[in-house]
Amino acid sequence: MSRLSRALKPLAGLLLVAGIGLFASSYWIEAKAVVAQVLLEQAWAATLEGEGPVKAWSWADTWPVAALEVPRLGRRVIVLKGASGEAMAFAPGLMDGTPLPGASGTSIVAAHRDTHFEFLQDVEIGDKIQVTLADGTVTWFEATDRRIVYADHSGIEVVAGDGRLALVTCFPFGAMTSGPLRFVIIAERIKPGDRLTRQSTSR
Amino acid sequence: MSTGFQKVSPMFVQRRRPVFPTVISSSFIFSILLALSFWPPVPFAQAQEIAAEPAFVSASPRTMTPGEATSGTLLFRAVEEGRYIQAPLEASDVKIEVTGLAARTKVTQSFYNPTQGWLEGIYVFPMPEDAAVDTLKMQIGDRFIEGKIKERQEAKRIYEAAKAEGKKASLLEQERPNIFTNSVANIGPGELVVIQIEYQQGLKIEDGEVRLRFPMVVAPRFNPSAEVQMVSLGTDGFGAGTGQDPVPDRTRITPPVIDPATVPDGTIINPVTLEVTLRAGFPLDGIVSPFHAIVKKKIDRDTVSIQLGAEATPANRDFELVWKAKQGKAPTAALFKEHYNGEDYIYALLTPPVSLDKVTARPREVIFVIDNSGSMGGTSIRQARESLLLALGRLQPTDRFNVIRFDDTMETVFASPVAADAENVGFARRFVAGLEARGGTMMLPALKAALIDPANTDTHYLRQVIFLTDGAIGNEDQLFSEIGKNLGRSRLFTVGIGSAPNSHFMSRAASIGRGSFTYIGDLAQISARMGELFAKLETPVMTDLRASFPEKANAEAWPNPLPDLYSGEPVLLTAKLSGAKGKLVIDGLFNGKRWAVGLDMKDAKSGSGIAKIWARRKIASLEQSRFDGQSHEEIESGVLTTALDYGLVSRLTSLVAVDVTRSRPEESALNSTHVPVNFPDGWNFDKVFGKSMAPVSTLRAQGTGQSQQFAQAIASDAFAPPASKGVQLPKGATSMELQRMIGLILLLLSATVFLVWRRKVRT
Repeated sequence: MSRLSRALKPLAGLLLVAGIGLFASSYWIEAKAVVAQVLLEQAWAATLEGEGPVKAWSWADTWPVAALEVPRLGRRVIVLKGASGEAMAFAPGLMDGTPLPGASGTSIVAAHRDTHFEFLQDVEIGDKIQVTLADGTVTWFEATDRRIVYADHSGIEVVAGDGRLALVTCFPFGAMTSGPLRFVIIAERIKPGDRLTRQSTSR
Repeated sequence: MSTGFQKVSPMFVQRRRPVFPTVISSSFIFSILLALSFWPPVPFAQAQEIAAEPAFVSASPRTMTPGEATSGTLLFRAVEEGRYIQAPLEASDVKIEVTGLAARTKVTQSFYNPTQGWLEGIYVFPMPEDAAVDTLKMQIGDRFIEGKIKERQEAKRIYEAAKAEGKKASLLEQERPNIFTNSVANIGPGELVVIQIEYQQGLKIEDGEVRLRFPMVVAPRFNPSAEVQMVSLGTDGFGAGTGQDPVPDRTRITPPVIDPATVPDGTIINPVTLEVTLRAGFPLDGIVSPFHAIVKKKIDRDTVSIQLGAEATPANRDFELVWKAKQGKAPTAALFKEHYNGEDYIYALLTPPVSLDKVTARPREVIFVIDNSGSMGGTSIRQARESLLLALGRLQPTDRFNVIRFDDTMETVFASPVAADAENVGFARRFVAGLEARGGTMMLPALKAALIDPANTDTHYLRQVIFLTDGAIGNEDQLFSEIGKNLGRSRLFTVGIGSAPNSHFMSRAASIGRGSFTYIGDLAQISARMGELFAKLETPVMTDLRASFPEKANAEAWPNPLPDLYSGEPVLLTAKLSGAKGKLVIDGLFNGKRWAVGLDMKDAKSGSGIAKIWARRKIASLEQSRFDGQSHEEIESGVLTTALDYGLVSRLTSLVAVDVTRSRPEESALNSTHVPVNFPDGWNFDKVFGKSMAPVSTLRAQGTGQSQQFAQAIASDAFAPPASKGVQLPKGATSMELQRMIGLILLLLSATVFLVWRRKVRT
């Protein structure tokens, strides 16, 4: 038996191990995303009870700032402060430097296309989006636009709009690697005046 | 991706059915164990995710506007809100007067409304962080408007009202301490707009060199992300510049620019004239402009005039001017004064002795704090480790030191600071070399531990805390107040690590901690940047600086207290006095000895803009006092009063100018669909906007087969190439799918190799 063929068995083992490792790693990413939402829901409940910002786990770098729901799709996610890589591993993040949803300007919430914002591709113009803030205020938004933009030429201005919400994720959905494109849902705040009528028509 | 697996796998199953159980039984347990040891396998995923976080967004809590402009840029509001068209720049004239370390810049630029409609223009321009913007003048067509300082909200109301009434109006606002926007309402079709802005600016001296930079690249261009960081990092959103350059290596960052030669019809070349009148306040050893040809002319003994060599220069490179001081042996001081609104304003420039070779520095007590939390994963932790190892190597046996590491836990290497002998340093080196990034970030306990200083009154050692982190934290204010309260005799030096450190936190922490902030962008910079830091740490420092004025002068001096002086740095002291008479005495501790210099204020040379710099420093100091327990109301009213009194644009004040007569006819709409999508002749779309303006068809080609979604999106006009860059969006995908794919391929490979091995064994 040649030296080469003797090396083959350990090589097979090594490849197997590496393969399983990577496979497991990918599920770990998914598991983190799912489990974190459960923990965040608890932290969010505490936040709503008026305990101020509550971290879902003590060493977290960030804390929940809002709950975002798309009733038509039956989706609900807790939004963390900051759209950093760490925050987005656990939940969608409200980009630092953008206003709280409902306030004047454009709030940007970003999440991964393969976890929390996978459902973004199903959001249609006219869909209602409900955002609850830490002080319990509920604001309704209506999706007005679906856009694909370059990450570095988004055209989204933080000062633009009066209570505008931009939901951002990578594009295209289902792709293997991340490219320069982003998928954006633009939603406008539904003003208190027209809120009731619109809500009733959507029911 | 699973289809590939299905196609191949039946082959194995049919031909070598018994193979799999064997493989699995022999290596299954082992592989599970190994896989577990990978747990949690985050670094791969996180390293990419972290890099994707746009630095400028995290840097400021209240960012607002097109932060992408790297020079003065006039944008026209396009059809859709939030999208802009960049206006052609016709000509640009820059006059800069430098007095000591104060520079007054007057920028006059003319723009042209090329469209058939009435437009609202947004003029965005970056500034040095400590720029005091006090003048806005605008000529629109034949009208001339000068801005008045108002409270921010009021100014906005005035502007909006004028805009609605069809009057020409302009509004100059501070978005962040280094980004200003100027809105111009009701610019008529084909009108020429002339904008003049003046600002006062303090310059920094480092190693005897003063560097003046003017952002001159006025042609639109594609900015790499580093450029975006450069403009936006480290501002605080509270309106106060900390006086620290957020990106110390900004001269290194040279953005790609449009080469004028590549513009065939030459339309994007901007004729720029620039003149600097330089009164350095100290003997000069040379004046250099690294990127532009200059012509120097001596005006008198202290004054030099510098002009751009060519009559008109293509504005494709930021202008930089560097002048060097002759090296002196003893501390020297220069004094300038200005009479403004019945009061005297002075500033003193203090240059410390440069030849320090003969003086031995005081021994140091250095506390190193290193962040090894998960956010430091990847190259960040390597940079931090390398930097710290380098720093440990610089300790002298007479020094004392300790090392603290933290994530969501904390460890102190020695119970209390120990002598930096070979054994202790070696022990610490081994500890540092073994650090890995993991866990969350709990900075406060580590900071507290670093500031614990039982021998607070000891003057034998110079106590320095060196903090290496990316600053990924949310409780900044808590940390600032901890530093403010418990700093004692310690000095805090922050070292920012990684591609997107929280510079706002670190520069401010260093400023409150009376130290400095060093930014290390990548591994290659470590030795250079740390070297600069070591020079500061190891050379004798001038501490306990005080300025005393005659009793009757009623002096109000800023900054207060005076920061320590490090080698190569002067201190700029500004003060308001009822009369600049008598003696100003500046004294300090230098190398353990008290040192003092008296300056007769009647000898002060006259200078301009000193009152504004004083006001700007006062505002900056007030903003900073937020963390020394100063009440919110006091700060707000202090900032507002100062800004209004001195006519400065600040976080709370804006300049607004309104024309008296209506200029837009009632029937024409402002900011409407009149803006043509086609640009006028001579505007080369692709050249100017690069790929952001790539026609939709190119994108369709790129997206072929990606998904139906893409085609639908394009068909429904969802893809709208924006004219403005807007906010840099974060990355929105994990490497989950990729990992799964590679994992599968590896598994398949493993099976194949195993099969080959089996065959070989049998034959």
